[in-house]
Amino acid sequence: MRAVIEKCNNSSKRLTEIRSINCSKGQDTVTKYISKRILHSLITLCIVIVIVLALLRQMPIEGYFNNFDKMSQTQINVTLKQLGLKDPLPVQVGRYFVQLLHGDFGTSIKYRAGYSNAKIIAQKAPLSIEIGLISLAIALILGLPLGAAMARSTRSKFKIWDRFGTVLIVIVQAIPSAVYYLLIQLYGSEWFGVSMLFSRSNYATWILPIFSLSLGNIVYYAMWLRRFMVDEANKDYIKLACAKGVSQKKIWNRHVFRNAIVPLVQYIPNSILFTLMGSLYVESLYSIPGMGGLLVQAIKIQDNTLVEALVVLYSMISVVGLLLGDILMAIFDPRISFTGKEGAR
Amino acid sequence: MNSFADLGSSKLESSLNDELKKHVSAYDKCKDLPEDELFTPAEFDSSEAEMGGYSNYSYWKATLRAFLHNKTAVFFLTVIVIVLAFTFIQPLLPNQRSAKTIYNDPETGIQIVNRQPDSEFWFGTNSIGQDLWARTWAGTRTSLGIGFAVACWEALFGTVIGLLWGYVRKLDTFFTEFYNIFDNVPQTLVLILISYIMKPGVNTIIFALCLTGWLGMARFIRNQVVIIRDRDYNLASRCLGTSTGRIITKNLLPYLVSVITLRMALAIPEAIGNEVFVTYIGIGLPTDMASLGNLVQAGRLVMSQPELRYQLLFPTAVLAVITISLYIVGNSFADAADPKNHVD
Amino acid sequence: MDYNDIQKGETLISIKDLTFDFTLRGQTLHALRGISLDIKKGESLAIVGESGSGKSVFVSNLMGLNAQNGHVSGGSIMYRGLDLTKLTTEKDWSEIRGRRIAMIMQDPMTSLNPLKTIGWQISEAVELHRGLHGDEAKNAVYELLADVGISDPARRYKQYPYEFSGGMRQRVVIAIALACKPEILICDEPTTALDVTIQAQILGILRRLQEKYELTLIYITHDLGVVADVADFVAVMYAGDIVEVGSCNEIFYDPKHPYTWALLSSLPQLGIKGEQLYSIEGTPPNLFYEVHGDAFAARNPHPLKIDFVKRPPMFEVTPTHFARTWLLDPRSPGVEKPEHIKRLNEKYKELMKKNGESVSGREPAKTALEGAAI
Repeated sequence: MRAVIEKCNNSSKRLTEIRSINCSKGQDTVTKYISKRILHSLITLCIVIVIVLALLRQMPIEGYFNNFDKMSQTQINVTLKQLGLKDPLPVQVGRYFVQLLHGDFGTSIKYRAGYSNAKIIAQKAPLSIEIGLISLAIALILGLPLGAAMARSTRSKFKIWDRFGTVLIVIVQAIPSAVYYLLIQLYGSEWFGVSMLFSRSNYATWILPIFSLSLGNIVYYAMWLRRFMVDEANKDYIKLACAKGVSQKKIWNRHVFRNAIVPLVQYIPNSILFTLMGSLYVESLYSIPGMGGLLVQAIKIQDNTLVEALVVLYSMISVVGLLLGDILMAIFDPRISFTGKEGAR
Repeated sequence: MNSFADLGSSKLESSLNDELKKHVSAYDKCKDLPEDELFTPAEFDSSEAEMGGYSNYSYWKATLRAFLHNKTAVFFLTVIVIVLAFTFIQPLLPNQRSAKTIYNDPETGIQIVNRQPDSEFWFGTNSIGQDLWARTWAGTRTSLGIGFAVACWEALFGTVIGLLWGYVRKLDTFFTEFYNIFDNVPQTLVLILISYIMKPGVNTIIFALCLTGWLGMARFIRNQVVIIRDRDYNLASRCLGTSTGRIITKNLLPYLVSVITLRMALAIPEAIGNEVFVTYIGIGLPTDMASLGNLVQAGRLVMSQPELRYQLLFPTAVLAVITISLYIVGNSFADAADPKNHVD
Repeated sequence: MDYNDIQKGETLISIKDLTFDFTLRGQTLHALRGISLDIKKGESLAIVGESGSGKSVFVSNLMGLNAQNGHVSGGSIMYRGLDLTKLTTEKDWSEIRGRRIAMIMQDPMTSLNPLKTIGWQISEAVELHRGLHGDEAKNAVYELLADVGISDPARRYKQYPYEFSGGMRQRVVIAIALACKPEILICDEPTTALDVTIQAQILGILRRLQEKYELTLIYITHDLGVVADVADFVAVMYAGDIVEVGSCNEIFYDPKHPYTWALLSSLPQLGIKGEQLYSIEGTPPNLFYEVHGDAFAARNPHPLKIDFVKRPPMFEVTPTHFARTWLLDPRSPGVEKPEHIKRLNEKYKELMKKNGESVSGREPAKTALEGAAI
């Protein structure tokens, strides 16, 4: 994984260097574009948090109490008032923003009563990140070559790779992941003789959840890379490259692959950041003590403040992920900052 | 390429076809003439001159032909039609059991729990003695109903918003900002929140799925519209005073057919998947209700016992057949409906 | 690489009865129907014809760039003792593409890689075909940029295609083609996507570079004005066949094929004020079906009966002028030429008289086109 990120960083650095030497004007447009984009994201983030909070205030009020059943109505009202939940929404939102700026995600009510949510998250996150990054690396290492092989084989006689890849894509995309995760867990654990549950020290138990998590991404990256590469390969400039006598191998590597990978680049930061949240489903299936399982658990036991903290964090991650994706795109594709358009999503 | 299946052009086409059949080509007229006769001037026949470019292209016919050409797609279409038909006919067939009744052994009076599939209970019974065969088909009905409702809403609302977004320039900024904000909220999250906030039930799930699904559809349609909107023939059409409504329905919608059907076909498996997921988290449909989500969840609970695995596998198999068929048929139809694939 | 073994004006490429088919969903489209043509070294040949007449398919054959569903079904293309129709592998073609034959495409907006600098794209060809690297390659690129009239090459070298206008991009494409040091340069409608003033500049550059690099030019166009500007020889294509070929003057002043007549008559330069511009009635034949006789017969206002039955052979008019029409057969009753063609013919004779016998090349074609306009 690290290698992939480093490669991205290096090439982006190289590109920025080239541009900064070449024309200060180009550099300006990139900086201008990026700062505009950051400002935009900040505003979006604020609005998203407001919407999320407004939604979350509709949660059942039981979730704010550890012992709801035993409390009288007046007790409930007093506590709600103490929590500030009786205030008008704008006041609550304002208070929440102030809290957020101090890095305060509130206090857990049931999961670990009285414990800071930020602390709970900080404990759970590293494992999710670790598993997520490994699975993403596997997805890229397997998915990109598969996509490239599929694209190249569309020009061959039997299209073996393309057929194989298409079958895989159809199966993984069409069957709901909630179902094939189950099957992987069931038969994987049986065939390899490993436990159905995750154990941190036993690396054999890491295989199945990581494989489950990467499968969707393998197919995703393969499918899009294939599509983009086939699109690129039909473009005029490839014909010109062909006409100037560049070998097929170089055309596929230096022109087609290089250009097709650019639109995919913008999804990578998002994929990395989302590993932070872990997979809701996979983590709870294998009882991995990570972030994803945490949200499911928080919902099941109705711990409202923890749900709130996780959902807000989730939204923040998604905004930041898209932002980083667009910035990466701007660095990789010289046209984007020039035309001022945001990357196609 | 622009002769879509509206009435005028199809009439014109059939009359042209008749004309063609009557026509004797100049080649047939002249081929048997003696040599000296051959070197005499012939008549200029303008209908003959027009013949070369005549093409009996019809959008829907070409779409159908392209689709039928794809054998895999035809196979899966047959599969999905049979499965769908069976799903709805099944309760009307003789000797079917109810999906909710708990069956007791007539001799001992004990519930028939976890009975292996046999001639009496084709898919066996579940852990409380309900007939899994009946439950599987009832569950398929529920889940397909949810999927279909969501798909229809997505197609309708998404298309309308997408068309407005793309076609009415004044609305573009508003919708784009709107999209950028709501696209940042992950769908799973909305699904979880809505299911958490509202009472579990079919309506909740449909509502939660409808709330977010149309965004992607609208965005897709908008992009297509923006691409097609400024093509020269639409510009020309507008200059000639064609109303916006007519341009949308006659010039734009046919191009969007492939996109809309594809999204609809994919929305159904997606909805089923989401239902399974929400049920797993424990905020899905009430457990006594037969749905694919509940069946998979119930199967999951007993899957570690090899002899009870059928409770997971039967519903899963039905679900997989449906989603895979829909996926393939949807994709193939979208390909077939794309005029780019009509070259022949 | 020494190309001097073949002298200027000698045959460089000889095409014999070339047929080319496409397969589309089980149907066969006959894109080329028996083309024969000689291309002379150092000359410029223009291939004229309407859209879909097979011009691009024809030249793509010279570089093996046709789509996968197409194949040569007969005939040969002999180039320096090599039959290009027999080349199959990428390795075979790598000897030809760029190195011997280079190509400029129609739309400069799409024919450059949007994510690579101009310099990178030109030096890719320089490194490949001239074996230069580093600063040497860079200097060669600067020189090429100057050649095609791009000023400040050092700055331009580092720019991306989106920073260039259409005309400038086409210059870059030309520079890329020249970087390969080819013997033959194919220009596939290089000015169609550009506006008229830029068009003239690009044509000027091409003419200048043809002399400097001793190129053999193959020029595809549907614009007869461009033809008069650049071509020594003209081949007229219709429905996948060459119906008439000759020197520029022969085609413009003494055309023999009814299609050439019709094509010339529809030139706006020859239109008569107040009258409707001539246009050819009907549409070209559908190449999915077999074409009987002369493909143009159905649209010919004065066809012979035999035109519908039998394909005419190539009749020789002069050693350089051939036409595929039954009108040249001794048995033919003869047809009166259209008004425009007669007038062109007279103009030409006048010019010949005025300038004496010294009239040659493409100069008169251009002047007469201008003169013939009323």
